[in-house]
This record gives sequence, structure tokens and C-alpha cells, in this order.
Amino acid sequence: MKSQPMDNLVYLEYAVAGIIRYWLINSDYKQTIGDRVEISTSLNSWRKVTEGAYLYSEGINPYVGDNFHETPLGLIVFNKLISHIPQWIGIIFIVCDLVTAHVLYRTAQTFMSELFSRQMRKKEKYAKGTETLLLKQSDLVLPPVYVASAYLFNPYIIFSCVGQTTTVFANLCLAFTFLLMIKGQRIACCSVLALATLQSLYPATLLVPASIYLARAESSSSLEDKQSLRASSCILTVVTFISALLLLLYISSELTGGWEFLHATYGFILNVPDLRPNVGLFWYFFTEMFENFRLLFICVFQINATLLYLVPLTFRLHDEPMLLAASLTALMAVFKSYPSLGDVGFYLALLPMWKHLFNFMQQGFVVGCSFLITSAMGPIVWHLWIYSRSANANFYFGVTLAFATAQIFLVTDILLAYINREFSLYHGLHHKGSGKTTKLVLE
Amino acid sequence: MANRIINMLLILLLLLVSSISTIRRSVPENFARAGHTNNWAVLVDTSRFWFNYRHVANVLSIYRSVKRLGIPDSQIILMVADDMACNPRNPRPATVFNNANQHINVYGDDVEVDYRGYEVTVENFVRLLTGRSPPGTPRSKQLLTDEGSNVLVYLTGHGGDGFLKFQDSEEVTSQELADAVEQMWQKRRYHEIFFMIDTCQAASLYEKFYSPNILSVASSLVGEDSLSHHVDPAIGVYIIDRYTYYALDFLERVEPDSTKTMGEFLAVCPKRVCISTVGVRKDLFSRDPHKVLITDFFGSLRPVELTVSGLNVTAIPRTQNRTRRSQKEREVPDRKLQYAKQFPTFIFES
Amino acid sequence: MMVVLHTIFSGLLCLQCISSVICTPQKDYFDEELLLKPLPSGHVYAYFQFTTLWDVDFEATSFQHCHLFPRALGEIVGRYNVQELHISLTEGLWRHETWGYPVHDAAPGAELWAWFKESTKNIDKTWKELAGALSGLLCVSFNFVDASNSLNPEFTFRPAGIVSSGAVNSSYLRYSTLPREIVCTENLTPWKKLLPCDAKKGLSTLLNAGHIHNTNYHSLGLHLRPVCRDTTCSQMSVELRQTVSLVYDMVILGTGNQDWSIKKLFGIGLSGACPLATMSNIYIDIALNETGAHFQLTPTPPAVITSTRGGHKSKFAVYDIKALDIDGMFNIAAVYSSSRVYGVNIPPVLFANRYIIGYGQERGGIVTKLHNGHWQALDVVYLENIPWFIPLYLHTLKIVANGKEIKPLLKRFIPGKARARPYYLEVALRLPARSITEISLEFDYVFLKWQEYPPDANHGFYIGAAVITSLLPVGRNYTGLPQDGSTITSSFNASRDGYLVQLRTETLIITMPTPDFSMPYNVICLTCTVIALAFGPLHNITTKRLRLKNKEQNYVIRWFKSKLTRSSEMKEKQS
Repeated sequence: MKSQPMDNLVYLEYAVAGIIRYWLINSDYKQTIGDRVEISTSLNSWRKVTEGAYLYSEGINPYVGDNFHETPLGLIVFNKLISHIPQWIGIIFIVCDLVTAHVLYRTAQTFMSELFSRQMRKKEKYAKGTETLLLKQSDLVLPPVYVASAYLFNPYIIFSCVGQTTTVFANLCLAFTFLLMIKGQRIACCSVLALATLQSLYPATLLVPASIYLARAESSSSLEDKQSLRASSCILTVVTFISALLLLLYISSELTGGWEFLHATYGFILNVPDLRPNVGLFWYFFTEMFENFRLLFICVFQINATLLYLVPLTFRLHDEPMLLAASLTALMAVFKSYPSLGDVGFYLALLPMWKHLFNFMQQGFVVGCSFLITSAMGPIVWHLWIYSRSANANFYFGVTLAFATAQIFLVTDILLAYINREFSLYHGLHHKGSGKTTKLVLE
Repeated sequence: MANRIINMLLILLLLLVSSISTIRRSVPENFARAGHTNNWAVLVDTSRFWFNYRHVANVLSIYRSVKRLGIPDSQIILMVADDMACNPRNPRPATVFNNANQHINVYGDDVEVDYRGYEVTVENFVRLLTGRSPPGTPRSKQLLTDEGSNVLVYLTGHGGDGFLKFQDSEEVTSQELADAVEQMWQKRRYHEIFFMIDTCQAASLYEKFYSPNILSVASSLVGEDSLSHHVDPAIGVYIIDRYTYYALDFLERVEPDSTKTMGEFLAVCPKRVCISTVGVRKDLFSRDPHKVLITDFFGSLRPVELTVSGLNVTAIPRTQNRTRRSQKEREVPDRKLQYAKQFPTFIFES
Repeated sequence: MMVVLHTIFSGLLCLQCISSVICTPQKDYFDEELLLKPLPSGHVYAYFQFTTLWDVDFEATSFQHCHLFPRALGEIVGRYNVQELHISLTEGLWRHETWGYPVHDAAPGAELWAWFKESTKNIDKTWKELAGALSGLLCVSFNFVDASNSLNPEFTFRPAGIVSSGAVNSSYLRYSTLPREIVCTENLTPWKKLLPCDAKKGLSTLLNAGHIHNTNYHSLGLHLRPVCRDTTCSQMSVELRQTVSLVYDMVILGTGNQDWSIKKLFGIGLSGACPLATMSNIYIDIALNETGAHFQLTPTPPAVITSTRGGHKSKFAVYDIKALDIDGMFNIAAVYSSSRVYGVNIPPVLFANRYIIGYGQERGGIVTKLHNGHWQALDVVYLENIPWFIPLYLHTLKIVANGKEIKPLLKRFIPGKARARPYYLEVALRLPARSITEISLEFDYVFLKWQEYPPDANHGFYIGAAVITSLLPVGRNYTGLPQDGSTITSSFNASRDGYLVQLRTETLIITMPTPDFSMPYNVICLTCTVIALAFGPLHNITTKRLRLKNKEQNYVIRWFKSKLTRSSEMKEKQS
């Protein structure tokens, strides 16, 4: 096995990443990091969790107020953690983060081998002269390490872990969803996905790539009529997911003795009542929105974040459900109502799986610079606005706009790169032989 | 002095006689001629902040005049967007002067502000005019006019071509204003309106009116600024606007029985003193302003109703009331009454 | 001529009196009192109380016929099923530390609380309507009172009057403050009109706007409650107290000395008592005369009362205005033997301060300091009234007494909800003897929608005063009236088991981060553009196919090139 030294390398990385996180979480920076609006939103901040758990332990229903938006399941767990093992909470966050990294590593490994076998299967269909594009055995080793590293050493993720945001758990659920999806384990995958959906609602869209994967796994293992098998498999997946979700909701309502939590959690996510700045697009837009049009635009924005791209992307990328899942996760992170850097870091960590597409990307430099600049400018203009009062909201809004634009460029670029590569694989590499200059256009 | 008292007594006597006797019922001439049965005033200052002191002084000047000329507080809707009289920056608390010599305290000792501070919004103003107040609005915050009401509308604040700013954060446009007035007309909420506005480009605010019986006057034409009159160094800001200053100057010389006409009032501030041109719009107004008494808008008709049928004024039978009360009193001793404990000591005892 | 008028007037008045006596079988009384108390700090505290007592059942039907009781108020009270009503309109802050306790404590701004009868159906709606009606009556912006800024605290407020059953159900209580509300002549005018003599005669003639708003602190009050008609308490009466508290700073007003007089304080002398009043008294607290700066009263008081209350002795000079034969204007003057000598200020047993901590507009904290100067522990109830736009974190509640954290005996908390409900926190505490207790809480700054900001958004947002309630064991600095008493007279020699104080702390102001109010359209357009940046390419990627295409040059460039080549060809030809 060749991956053995790589495994060791990854374990070393875990250790280093763990130490970095442990050091930060025990330093004075922890509070500063946790207080950043880019890291902690109303939805995931540990301060709100503490408040909710405190209210719960005082016998006050935390869902009647405005300060707590976690699910009842989370509430019970966090309350137990806070009241019983407060000194271990930091460690739990670090461990969860490392587990997420490991799960992603495993996902990437499986994905790379899948990618390779698919390439082998389709090799004869590819055009001549495209050998340079093909993946070699050696190409499969590094991307998983990159994935793990991108998760472990991405400052976004580190800060999000050190700031003790509940995005860490959301990411863990998502990572498991990805792994179980690619492994084709329906019940486990659906349960984890339901858990992720329960926590942050938006991951429900991942049900589509998941059912494609699961259907494919099923049809490849049996020899019966593939079409009907796929349909029934998809239905089964959806049913499993919905029943898991309903079960979780039922448990939640039983735990808190009522359904008020729905309004405090999903109502909060969907209606966007909290206009505290974050890295997303909602806050300033709905601060400045005219009251009469609020509902209309909330619907538009929420559909944009979930359903709008789901169907077209599914049709386009059904051959590559992993890319579909990743791009949906990315779009979710850009367009959800309370995004945080933890969400951004998560999909960034997935990207090295498509390292073979990087050559086709055109905007890497622009996107990279934008990320760097906005990450630096965000805190600066925030400070100018909130603390020294020499700037105003527009500055910070500008930065979040630029950040969102950069992310959008990244997503569209990688999708375009995928299409480009597919085209090149089937139609050969560039085509200057005929004398005329040609170019690839979408039409 | 003696004359006045004798006059008063005579009037009283006259009223008594006229109400008692059912024979003579000649309607006084002025009654028939006026055409309206009651007077209302809507006086609005739309400006907040200390440096807009003059707008508050403007609106209070008109308030003082209409009150002096007989419109009761219950029929004056006064909207003042900020508190100048008790503002900590005011060196003489509870006063607003229209003049650096401090001749007239336009705020006075007897003032009732119906809408104040944040209540002065475009929404409240339009609701007031059109009578669409939310349920539970007290009478003092409603314009309870009818088809016999002459309404004086006075607005002052910062404006521009076609709009008037409210509190520096929103604005009413001339079209909205015209539509509100038309709604008033359709709901028979006025007989005649005298619309006065003191703001920059004030004439633009009345241009869009299309309802009948409106006489409008504006402190400046479109393209002109309305200017303030003078600064009081003790207060540190301009204390009144030119147009209103001269209008008040004129109104101070009007008595309730005055025969001065609206025509005279419209010419109150010639360009040489106002610096801006006073705009007047008469085309919607059917009468000749020179034949309209100024008291038709600034004064008040007493709400006297003349009836032909006699009224039998005898004591209301109170027997029923009394029996009910005595019943109640009989029930009373069964009750056990006590003072509530003032401090929840029980929570400290455990 | 004046005499003639006067006789006519009083004749008419008498006629009215007689007629109303005939019409209404109930008895009613009106008392007017003024308490003047020089404070050790050189301030003078003037407290007016106009009490209307009416021997009638507290029913809606009772208010249909009013005599001395203001009908305008009666109608409102009857219509909205009010059991008890308390209003105060205050400008300035009462400094407990230097001034002791006032007769009625009031929060800066407008404060309103009411108990509704148990038969009331929809209390929130009735409360809103009541507040609306009162806003019209008193020219106060009470129409801003609704469920989003009202509380029903469980312990702090109890019915001040009689109740039919012993148990108190706080769901019939509503309490609200408008800390921003200003108080000016426009509030005083309608308030005065509720008095039987208006401001035409009696002590109310002293209430002149210019001299009231000139003070360091002024507070109008209106307190309505049912009381026992007699000692057996089988029947009830209606009591309406209209109060004015004023604190004059003689250092500013005085011309080089500490002397004060009725004329100097109120700008006018007293022309006589209100003819409708049963009692019309002026009390002057002369306790300070003995301990602090010495002053002489002219004219010499007809009577001096010594009152012992809760182990604390005080002396009052009493002027009965009705008994005085006033010719012209009556004036009482205090002439000090030495100028500018102030007594030693002994702060009262319990007082409090409140302030905001933190910088920037992201996170902050509210700290309240309770000073207990008593040698024993004191039980207090602390009520926090935080508007919905200041989200509190209860887990940050910290109570530290003299450096040691103490546990509250009881805690009631209802988290607020945006635009619907304020944050309600009530804490029962035992303050250790001679201690300073610090209650601190943290909050976040909230970002509101741009249309929710007031026109002067950068002025800041107000947080209402906290209320601290305690039953003091000693009567030092205490001026409040006993629960079973209605007039200031009843507070003389009124020793009880405890003396209820309700302190209001400072109101606080915070400046919240604001958006740019001028560019809603820009924001909407820019955000939509960014969304379109995603939509466009994704639409292309998903709906279109890649094709190879000849790279065609732009038409303009082609035309240009052809021109160039042609001209060069021409040149070549020429050459």
C-alpha cells in the first residue's frame, strides 16, 4: 500500500493542527476570535449557546426569546456539556474538527479511487492526444492529503473551531454525509444528512447528490433493470431521509415539550430577523429593504440559496454527484442567510479533490487575491465602523460583497473548468492545427 | 372695562332670552353669510433639532393667533416635531419667543400639543387629514371636521420643489398632499380650506391641489428660498421666518370682531420685506378673498345650534338611579376589603 | 368692578356647588398641600399634593357624575376597567444620595402603570387603548406604549390601594416607561385642568410653567387608587393624588445667599386657598434649621408639628391658608442667618447608580450599584426594564457584594422578543450590611432595519430606569405617605413596621450602529448584481454546451485593419 507514508504524514498534520487549535483555544485570542462577526453569527455563536443552555437549566424556555437558535437536540447536548464537563468543551471542539478532517480525508481517498476507476472505464471514449489530461496512479495520492491539510490549516476553519462555533458540528455532519454518500450506506447517510438538516436546514439540498450516489451504488452492485432500480432507490433514499428528519423533529419537540423551537430555529433562518453583519449578502440588503417588499425578497433570496440552482446543476453534473454536492455546499455557504467563515472553509477544503481541474481555471489569481484582501479588510473596516466610528456600514458591506463575488467566481470557475476538461477529453486538446484561431464558447 | 362687562351680560341675557323664547328666531346676518359652521386648525411643524427653532416659533405664532381669535384647543391640532421650550439649550425654559426683544412668548402658559416628537410623521399627518386614525386614537388627536368646517392648515419646515421634509427623515410630496385633501373633500370633511405654508419653494406644495374651495398661500415661489427673520444672540439661532413673522405681526392687530379680510392677509408680506415672493392660489376658491373675513379661518364660530323645536328642560328622573345605588349599597358590607401588602416579604422568608 | 365679578363668579360657583350636592349623594373632599423642604445640599424640595377623595364605589358607572373628581379622567378610568392608575412625567433625575427620598419616586421621562380589574378581557388591548386615551388627556406620547415596551413585574409593583382578595395577580398589571419623553408646559396645562380649581385659585396658582421648568428636577404625578372609606374598611373610596415635585437649586437661583421664599421659587405669591378645598396647608420642614444652616421663617408659623417616624424626628412649620386672612399676596420667606452654609449630608440607607460599560458598538454591559448603608442586611427587589433592541445575556448576570459573589434569592426572567416584548428581569436580593452590591449584565448591540431608526438615530436609544424596591426598617430621610393615608398630614407620626421605598435609577442611553440611511436603492441594486453574477454564469454552464468557434475579430478592428492594409498597399503603389 502506497498510502502508508501519506497516512503518517496526515497523522502528523492532525497533531500539528491539534496543537495549534489547543494553543489558541487556551490563549487570550480565543475571545477575540469568537467575537468576530465573520466567525460567529447569531446562529452558531457559542455565547448564544451558553445563554440558551443557561436559560434551559434555569427552567426558562429559551425558545420564547430572541437569543437562542440551536435545535433542542443541540440544546440538551450542550447543556449537558456545559454543566458537566465545562473544562473539556474546548477539547471536544478540537476533536470534532480533527475527526471532520479525517472524514474528509477518507472521503477524498475514496473519491480519488472512484474517479480513477471511472476514468479507466471511459478511457476508450476519450479523444486522442488527451493523455496528458488523464489521471495517473500517482495523482491519486496527494489530493486527499491536500484536502485534509486544507481543512486542518485553513485559518477560517481554525478560527471557527477556536471561536467554538457550532459550525464545527455542522461541518462534522456534512463531512460524514459526504463520506457515507460515497460509501453508499443509505441509512447512515440519510440519518447524518437529517441531522445536518436539523441543525442548519440548508443541507437538505444535498439529498439530491446523495440519492444519485446511493442509486448508483445500488445499481452497480445488481444486474437488474437499472432505470427502475434507480428510481426506486431514489424514492427510498428520500423516504429514509424524511423519516429520519421527522423522527429527529419529534424527538426535539418531545425534549422541549412543544414546537416553539421551529419558529426560533427555522423561522429564524428563513425570515432573517437578525440583521447583524456577517459575511453573507442578507444583512445589509434586508436592513435597507423597504418593508413592503421584505417578504418577496426573502422568498427570492431563500430560493436562490436552495432550489434555484439545484435542478439545473443536477442535470448537468449527474455524472459527478460529488462535484454537485460540493458546488451545492459552496452555493449554500455563499447564499445562506447567516453564513460564517466556517462554512466557507469547509467547501474550500473539498476543492483539492478536483486538483486535476485547476489547470483549466482562469480566475484563480483574482479569486485568491480577493480572498486575501477581503479577509484582511473585513476586520479593519469593521473596527473603523464599530469602534472608531470613522467609517460606516457601507464599507463593511462593500467588503462582504467583494467576498461573496470572489466565492461566486470560484464556484463558477471550477464548474466551467470541469466542463472544459470534459470537452477536451472528448474532443481533444487545443485545436490550432487548422490555421484559424478557434476558441471554446458556451452557446 | 365696564362697557365690556355690560356687553357680556347683555349677550348672556340675549342668549338666555333667545333660548327660552320660541317665538323670535331671526338668524343673525353673519351666521347666514359665513357658510361654515365651525373652525378647525391643523398646525404642523415638521422640523426637529435645535437649529430649527424658528419653525417651532412659526407654528406657535399661528397657534397663538388662532387661539386668541377664538378657536378652542379641542379644535386645534398642533403638531410639533421637537421640544424647543423645555430644551436644555433654551436659556429661558418653557418659553418660545418670536422676537429677540421677547415681546411675545408664543408658547404661552396654556398650550396643548397634540402630536409631538416622533409622533409627527407623514403617516400620522395624512391619517389626521383623511380621518383614518387607528382605533383608540383620542379625540384630541383627530380632525373631527364635517362639511361645515373651515380648516386652516399651516405647515412649516424644510421643503423643496414638490416636497416637504418631516423630521429630516421622510417627506410628503405635493401629490400626496393633494390626494389627501381630495379624500377629505370626498369624505365631506371640510367646507373651505385655507392652506398656508412657510418653507422653501413653498408654492410647489399647493400646485397639485385639485379639490374645490381651497385658498392657498405660500411664503415663496418655486425656485425661491424662504428666509428667516433674525437671530436672537441669547438663543443662538434664527428665531422666526420672515413670512410668519409678518403674518403674526398682522394677526396681532386682528380682534375677534375684526372686519379685516383675507385679501389683506394675503398681501401681508410684500417682497421687499419677505425677500421671497409670496405665492397665492385662488383658482380653487370660489369667493373673492377681499370679501372673506379673516376670522372665517383664523377665528371661530361658536358651535351654536339653532333649533325650531322647543326643549323641555326638567330634571332627569333619578329614581331608577337611586334605587340601583341603594341596592348596591346593601350588597356592600359583605365585601372584605384590605390594602395589598406593599412588599413581597414572603420571597425572603424561605 | 372686580368685586362685582368676583361676587358673580362665587355666586355661580355656589350655585354649582349646591346643585351638585343635590345631584350627587356621594361625599367628596379636596385637599391641597405643599411641603417645602430645604435639603442639606442647598436645594429646596417643593412637593405639591392635590388630593381628591370621593366616597364612591370604584365602578365605571360611578364616574358618570363627577363633582370634584375630574370627569375627563373618570371616563377613561371607567371605560378601560382600571383598578389603579399611576402616571408620572419627570424631567431630571432625583439624586437619592444627596436629596434623600422623595414622597413619590419617579423615573426620568414618562412612567405609567395600571392595574386592571379582574373582569378585564383582553388586557394587552385595553392597556394600549388606555395609554392612547391618556396620551390625548395629558399630551404625552403614551400612544407609543404597547406590548413591546410593557412589563408585568411580579414583585416590584403591588396594588397601592385596596384589593378584594389577598392574593395579587400580576397579570392584571402593566408597567411601561418612555424614558425619552420630555415634560413641558403642554403637559402641565392639561394636568392643571384636572384640578377642581384649575389654576385659578389656591396652591395651584403657584404652578407657573416658567418657574417649574427652571428646576433641577420636576415631576408631575397622577395616582389613582381605591382606598378604605373608614377604619373598618368595609367600603371603598376613590383617591386621586395629583402631585408635583420640584427641586430648586438655590445656588443657581439665589442671588448670593441661600434665602428662599414662595415668591422667589414660584414667581408669584399666594392669593388664597381654593374655595373647594377642605384643607389647604403649607408645611415647611424645619428640621434642618436645627442641624444645618439656621434660617428664620417670616411670617412666623402659626403652628409647629413634631413628627417622630421610624425613630427619626422631624419638625414642620404649618401654615393653614384657609385660616389666614390673606390680603393681597401671601408669601413665606426663609431668611438664613449666614449665607452659604450647608448641612452635613447623611446619605439615605439605600441608593443606587447605574451605568453602561464597554466601548464600541458591538458588546456592552449594564452595571447597577446598590449602596446599603444600614447596619443590617436589606432585602430588595430589583427590576430591570430593558427594551427589546438590547438583547441581554442572563448567563452573564453577576451580583457581587463587597467583592464576593452572592446568589439571588429569586430570579424571574422572560427573554425579550424583537418588536414584541422587552426583556424582563426581576431579582430578589439580600444586600449585606454596609455594602456596595454590583449587579452586572452583558448585552449585544443590535442592528435594526433602517426604517426602525428614529429621525435622530445618532442621538441614541434610551434604556428605562431600573426599579429597586425595599422595605426600610428606619424612617430616616423618608418622606413617603403611609399606605392608609391620603394627605401629607397623614405622614406625620406615622410609624410603621417598614417604610417602602422604590428607587428609580438613571435612564441610560446607548448609540447603536446605524446603516447608511441614504442608500437603500444602491444596496438593493448592488446585492442583486452580485446574485446575478452567480446566476448568469451558472445559467450558462447548465443550459449551454461548449462549442469550438472560429475566433472572429471584432467588426471594428477588422474594418480598421483592412483600412490600414489598404493604405499601406496604396503607399507601396505610390512608391
